[in-house]
Amino acid sequence: MSFFDRDFKEILSSELVSIIGGLLVGIVLAIYTDKLLLIPGMLVLLPGFLEMRGNISGSLSSRLSSGLFLGVINPKKIKSKIVTGNVIAATILSILVSLALGLIAFLFDYIVLHQVVVEIIFLPLIAGIIANLIEIFITLFATFYLFRKGHDPNNIMGPFVTTTGDISSTLALLITLMII
Amino acid sequence: MKNIKRALEKLRKVRKKQHHPLLYEIHKKHKISKKTLFYIKEYGTEKKVISTVLKESIKILIFASIISAFGGLGLEEIKARFIAIIPLLVLMPALNDMIGDYGTIISSKFATMLHKGKIKGRLSKIPELRGLFFKIFTIALITTILGFIASILISYYVKSYQVTLLTGIKIFSIVIIDVIFLISLLFISSVLLGLYIYRKKEDPNNFLIPITTSVADFANMLILAGLVILFF
Repeated sequence: MSFFDRDFKEILSSELVSIIGGLLVGIVLAIYTDKLLLIPGMLVLLPGFLEMRGNISGSLSSRLSSGLFLGVINPKKIKSKIVTGNVIAATILSILVSLALGLIAFLFDYIVLHQVVVEIIFLPLIAGIIANLIEIFITLFATFYLFRKGHDPNNIMGPFVTTTGDISSTLALLITLMII
Repeated sequence: MKNIKRALEKLRKVRKKQHHPLLYEIHKKHKISKKTLFYIKEYGTEKKVISTVLKESIKILIFASIISAFGGLGLEEIKARFIAIIPLLVLMPALNDMIGDYGTIISSKFATMLHKGKIKGRLSKIPELRGLFFKIFTIALITTILGFIASILISYYVKSYQVTLLTGIKIFSIVIIDVIFLISLLFISSVLLGLYIYRKKEDPNNFLIPITTSVADFANMLILAGLVILFF
């Protein structure tokens, strides 16, 4: 087993893509610092919000990969009960966790900063729903596509999901800020 | 064929905490692997998939959110100082991503190793696990250095932020210390938790990723905040 094997190359290349995605979000943060980061409690909310996308979609992809490898899920048939169930569960999880994050940031503002910022509850909730709509379907189709092409989705989907998740989450946050 | 279907339906109905000899019977009679049967039992029907995933994931995800939020508290406290160091602000999401990515890769690969029955004996003597550790470490160092260089260039071109040699060394030290510490933490937590969860007959996929990434996220924010205070 060579050190610089296919695994190494797959992880490194997907990680480079991930870094680029992260840096793009960093650029957005640096440009919109006054709009995004100056909202009280935003730095409390932001890490969890960005992380959530990876947690939910990462687990979704990992479960689907296990099912594909074990032969329980047919790689040629996305529309199956087990896949639909996974998508519905991931959507519900996303809504619940977004709401929880908003409440945590609201409590932080109220208890620590003595400010009542109601928007901080709705901001992750609306942004979470928008980002989730994009992210879950990307995860689903990418996992199946990679498996069908003979790749191990476990190597690629983690970085891929966090990158696309970060970008979709930041864009969703900016869109929601405009709406609110 | 009818027999297999009936047997699998029976298996899906077995309650989680019950011992289920049926699994072994189907395995023996129909030559279906125990791992496949475990997966079918866990996520049998559409309804069961939703309830299993929600039940197993919600607590852990809320816990992860709370942990991440606490991590963010550290940065919120030093917000003014932190957002003034533009390269670090630009690099923060990439760093968070990296930590999350490595957490996901380590956790899902370790979960697959557990499912495939490759984790036996002394952990340090398992070539696949050792290989994974050294690969992740090497890749993390390469990507961190590249990310650091990119963040310096971006800060200069986007915000006209000029980095002196001393500031550059300080930012580089912060990033490298942070990454080395977190990769080690990710490995230790994934392996220990993965073994514990697998022994409890649960699917590590549902627990490992949220726990390890949020612990690393929390540690990442706190270490970053601490190092920023220390260096700046």
